[in-house]
Amino acid sequence: MNWNLMRKTISYRWQSTSIYSGSLAAYVLLLAAIFPSFKKMAGIQDFVKNYPKALMKFFGVQSFDVTSFNNYLGMELLTVMWVIIVGAYIISFAKSMVAGEMKSGTLELLLAQPIERWKVLMSEAFVLLLGIICVVLSTVLGVFVFGSAFSVGVTYTGYLAFIPVAIALFLSIAGYSILFSVVFNQPGRALMASAGLTLCFYVLHFAGAYWRIVEKIDWFGIFHYYDPLKVINSGSVPVKDVLILLAFSVVGFALAIWFFQRKDITVS
Amino acid sequence: MPESIISTESLTKYYGRVVGVEGLNLEVEEGELFGFLGPNGAGKTTTLRLLMGLLRPTAGHAEVLGLDAWRQSVAVKQLVGYLPGDASLYSWMTGEALIRFIARFNGHSEKEGFELAERLELDSGGLGRKVGGYSRGMRQKLALVLAMQKRPPLLLMDEPTNALDPLTQHILYEILNEYREAGTTLLFSSHNLPEVERMADRVGIIKEGYLVDTERIENLRRKRLRSVEIIFSGDVPDGLETIPGVSELERAGNRVQLKLRGDVNQLLKRVAQYDVADFSVTHASLEDVFLEFYGRGDSGGAV
Repeated sequence: MNWNLMRKTISYRWQSTSIYSGSLAAYVLLLAAIFPSFKKMAGIQDFVKNYPKALMKFFGVQSFDVTSFNNYLGMELLTVMWVIIVGAYIISFAKSMVAGEMKSGTLELLLAQPIERWKVLMSEAFVLLLGIICVVLSTVLGVFVFGSAFSVGVTYTGYLAFIPVAIALFLSIAGYSILFSVVFNQPGRALMASAGLTLCFYVLHFAGAYWRIVEKIDWFGIFHYYDPLKVINSGSVPVKDVLILLAFSVVGFALAIWFFQRKDITVS
Repeated sequence: MPESIISTESLTKYYGRVVGVEGLNLEVEEGELFGFLGPNGAGKTTTLRLLMGLLRPTAGHAEVLGLDAWRQSVAVKQLVGYLPGDASLYSWMTGEALIRFIARFNGHSEKEGFELAERLELDSGGLGRKVGGYSRGMRQKLALVLAMQKRPPLLLMDEPTNALDPLTQHILYEILNEYREAGTTLLFSSHNLPEVERMADRVGIIKEGYLVDTERIENLRRKRLRSVEIIFSGDVPDGLETIPGVSELERAGNRVQLKLRGDVNQLLKRVAQYDVADFSVTHASLEDVFLEFYGRGDSGGAV
């Protein structure tokens, strides 16, 4: 890896990473502040119980308990919103790595320097990893701090076990997003491809909760290996799922390096 | 025999079906200032990118300082300063930060970069300002500094005087001469014939992806085509078209326009016998040079 390039990328990215991290922590604060009122709402238990079973399965809720902050956070944040927000951060970051620099023309300046292409990709991907860790930790720390502040009953070991799962999920998104950034010369196309594939995986997982036939191929998508409530409630890291997600990441990133090593730099 | 710093053999690059360069055989010797002349889209930029290992050749190969330009591109880049055409720089960085950033890649002090910036009068424009706020000329000056600051044995420059005012162009010529005296070889591209004549020892003429010819600059000067306009105080004298090198002569009243190839002295001597109200000479356009010496090719356009 190249420290000089990493330093440049960090100085360019720290603001957006801080905004994402801070916003997510603030969102957790909002949810934690609302939760005591939410669980006292008359009829909320029955209302949620009447959700379709498939939807509850999709959210990973085994038996709904309105007094559980984990269930609430899982449904309100970790299963949908969080994935969308952090996914947007990763896809936006990744599309700029190669496709963005290609379009702006700065890739020619960068690759005119004596640095191997794989090191360029590794250095920037490492900064993306730091960004993912930052965003995930800010959310979990938000749960710890604001959960304690509002006494909502946070299971600390569960959220600690959740950290590697979340990082592995986002690394898998990063893997193919970086690949698309390398393959496409236009950042818009890289973004569409990354967001489209993520959406496909998500829809596959969602549909798998409704239709058994789709469930059979759900293993093909990354969200099959991401069950935040199960991890948080059990407090144990699903090592196999984490390894599979990391394998997604490694394959995407290895292909990205392979393409980048051979890519023509044709900035206009 | 002088050593070849750049050597290409049947170097070819296609973008899909479009020719970038085709079968390029080029030798640039140590210490030489080699101008790569051609109109926009002729294949000059493609050649420079192939030499920098930014593009993978479709066929053939290129050696730079004895190293394979594609397979050993990192080693090549350690020894080469590269100025991209219409260089794009990180707009969010300051000029100063960019000089330091590039210097760190190459493992040298940024002192040379700041000195060059001062000579190119960039410091007064504010190296402390973000590049996004720079004018095109300032961006070009900074890109020149970034390419030259490591004092490499070889400089590859795509349109180096692009967007520079005449004064800065002059300073750049001075700096490049100093680099040359210190042993630097320069390969630069241009579509400006007088600029190539001024800077280069030898010129390669490229058109639509093909290297049409390489010439020593003296030979090119001998072949040089000029457009001449003379306004006589009296009638236009007869027989001007018989002067060697004169062609395309057109008369309109006491004004005459003609094309002149090669030596200008015979025309001057003849015209001096008459009372001349005005006399102007302009360099022929590059397109005229191609038409005059090499004809108009009919192959597809290059990139």
